[in-house]
Amino acid sequence: MALKVENVELPKKYHDAVEHWHRHNFKDYELLLKYWDKYFPKDDQFCLCAKMELGTTDVIQIGDFKGQPKKLKPNEMTEEQAKHLLAIIKAQASTEFGSIQQHAGTVDRAPEDEDKFWTMRVMAEELRHGYQMLHLLLSEDWSSVSGGVTGEQMVEEILSMTTGSHVLDAFNLDYDSYTDNVVFAACIDRVGKYQLTMQKVCAYKPMADSMPPMLREEAFHLAAGVIPMRRWAQKAAQGDVFVTMKMMQHAVNKWLPRGMEMFGDERGGDTNVNFGFKDMKNDEASSMYHEEVRKMIRDINTRFIRARFPDYAPDKAEAVLDELERSRGTHQGLAWTDLLRTPDKRFFRRKGVHAFAMVGIDGEVFTDAEEYLRYLALNLNDGYIASRDMKLYAAALRSVASGQKTVAEAMKEMPRLKRVGGSCPCSKGVRWVMEDKDGDQTTVAVRN
Amino acid sequence: MPEVTADVRIRALDELDLNGIVRIDEKITGIYRPDIWEQRVMFYTRRDPGASQVAESGGKVVGFMLGDCRAGEFGLEEPSGWIERFGIDPDHRGKDLGRRMFDAICAHFKAEGATSVRTLVDRTDEPVAGFLKAIGFGESPLAALERKL
Ligand SMILES: CC(C)(COP(=O)(O)OP(=O)(O)OC[C@H]1O[C@@H](n2cnc3c(N)ncnc32)[C@H](O)[C@@H]1OP(=O)(O)O)[C@@H](O)C(=O)NCCC(=O)NCCS
Ligand SMILES: [Fe+2]
Ligand SMILES: [Fe+2]
Repeated sequence: MALKVENVELPKKYHDAVEHWHRHNFKDYELLLKYWDKYFPKDDQFCLCAKMELGTTDVIQIGDFKGQPKKLKPNEMTEEQAKHLLAIIKAQASTEFGSIQQHAGTVDRAPEDEDKFWTMRVMAEELRHGYQMLHLLLSEDWSSVSGGVTGEQMVEEILSMTTGSHVLDAFNLDYDSYTDNVVFAACIDRVGKYQLTMQKVCAYKPMADSMPPMLREEAFHLAAGVIPMRRWAQKAAQGDVFVTMKMMQHAVNKWLPRGMEMFGDERGGDTNVNFGFKDMKNDEASSMYHEEVRKMIRDINTRFIRARFPDYAPDKAEAVLDELERSRGTHQGLAWTDLLRTPDKRFFRRKGVHAFAMVGIDGEVFTDAEEYLRYLALNLNDGYIASRDMKLYAAALRSVASGQKTVAEAMKEMPRLKRVGGSCPCSKGVRWVMEDKDGDQTTVAVRN
Repeated sequence: MPEVTADVRIRALDELDLNGIVRIDEKITGIYRPDIWEQRVMFYTRRDPGASQVAESGGKVVGFMLGDCRAGEFGLEEPSGWIERFGIDPDHRGKDLGRRMFDAICAHFKAEGATSVRTLVDRTDEPVAGFLKAIGFGESPLAALERKL
């Protein structure tokens, strides 16, 4: 059932553009709609439209303009504000479409049809979220802050991005197996939940009104990540040779550090709060996120222990888990490392306050870059180790460790949190890429 | 009013409440059945996110109430809230948590346009029937019927 929501369709040519896009990037979209009732009986049908929550507050809730009326049009904001928000919207659109491209690569490898349909529903809802952001770009005139780039050109550039040219790192990494579809939903969509929640206060009302419907869909995305992980943990505990905790751990190791970095540098986030766009700064939000991942991992481990020792009462299972967390030892042949672990905040980072710190999953500190890279190679999946992303990371880490580069220089070399500026309409491929003027890593982009 | 401790919070259900729910159910029924609760939580999460509620005390889930708003079933065209499953940890009963979760789920149903809330009860289950009566459920002209096959 829907709450008080208004559904809005884009003008036909843009609606058609999104329809066209999904034919190339999400080939089983029609299949999902055809079997929707089989997998999601009696749920509302999928609607490719923007959903605007009705009845939300008209008053700015936080920041320098607190208490003033919310802004309804870009030109009611200061130029700086409008530019900043435009970047957020465009970058968010990029993440929505980007994740579909990532999911599409491996969704067909889902072991069960149900898994596949869950993932496809996530993809369809991401398509709707991207559509929602296009609506924000097209429904008002941003030309005074877009450097003259038209709405049409902005849509064009967003729809032409591919894995590798998106705004945030997490959306530029290919999935290596269906494990990534699931772990990504559990870890990266969770960042999206945080971002959307923070943006519910947004001083630009159309943005704020976009958040609640997206957040309700996000709840499903998180469940579509966590529930398969729980089921796999149970199977692994029962000895299924095709499903292992190690495989899930490697995927968590791949995604969690990128999720942490989606919040932006731990030292930043003031602008968003001052402008009234979000209600938390980067460090506070990313710390809460990290704690929540810890809770998720503990839940999955509990599922594992109950399946591994079926005659243990719930209290005993909890006690065993506590003990293993504390001792990092073994219990009846079950080692601490056989369970899932929450990677330390500093693990495998390349941005932010912990960039290029050489810290292991459990917080162990390395001093030698080669040793750390060998450690990473053992704790990430094969497909990912053999990637360009790892190659670039290793080169940057080595240059920092040898003193050739400062951390700040190396951070700049990594694919960056880019501002989507759109100030140069002539060079199509890269015109939207514009570095933040002060190299600040404040988050300007989210996905969910 | 029973005493309401400061660390108790009623909030919408999420996917990380599963272990808590499984545990309460196990405490009440003695049966460990995570897969069933995974299905139910997934169902309500996609069906009507924000409707189902949990009660949290000291950061631990001690109660849950699952339901959704539906229309068009059994010839009932107008949207109505349905409460399907609920449970309170036996150590946390009598603290108004059941009622508070009920108030929260009803607020959500109302926002969705529902004007009534429905449930089915085993009349011989006195505690549950008593609780439902206390929170305001009464007889309905609709009756659940069954016959053996
Ligand atoms: C029934 C249950 C939900 C009550 O929870 P609770 O938090 O203790 O209830 P509250 O404190 O919110 O009480 C609300 C009202 O219900 C009444 N109530 C609670 N338990 C009752 C009982 N066993 N008999 C009669 N009335 C009862 C309370 O007296 C109170 O009424 P009041 O305000 O007029 O005094 C809880 O005992 C439970 O989980 N039982 C098992 C549930 C179960 O088997 N579920 C399976 C169905 S899916
Ligand atoms: Fe999304
Ligand atoms: Fe999502």
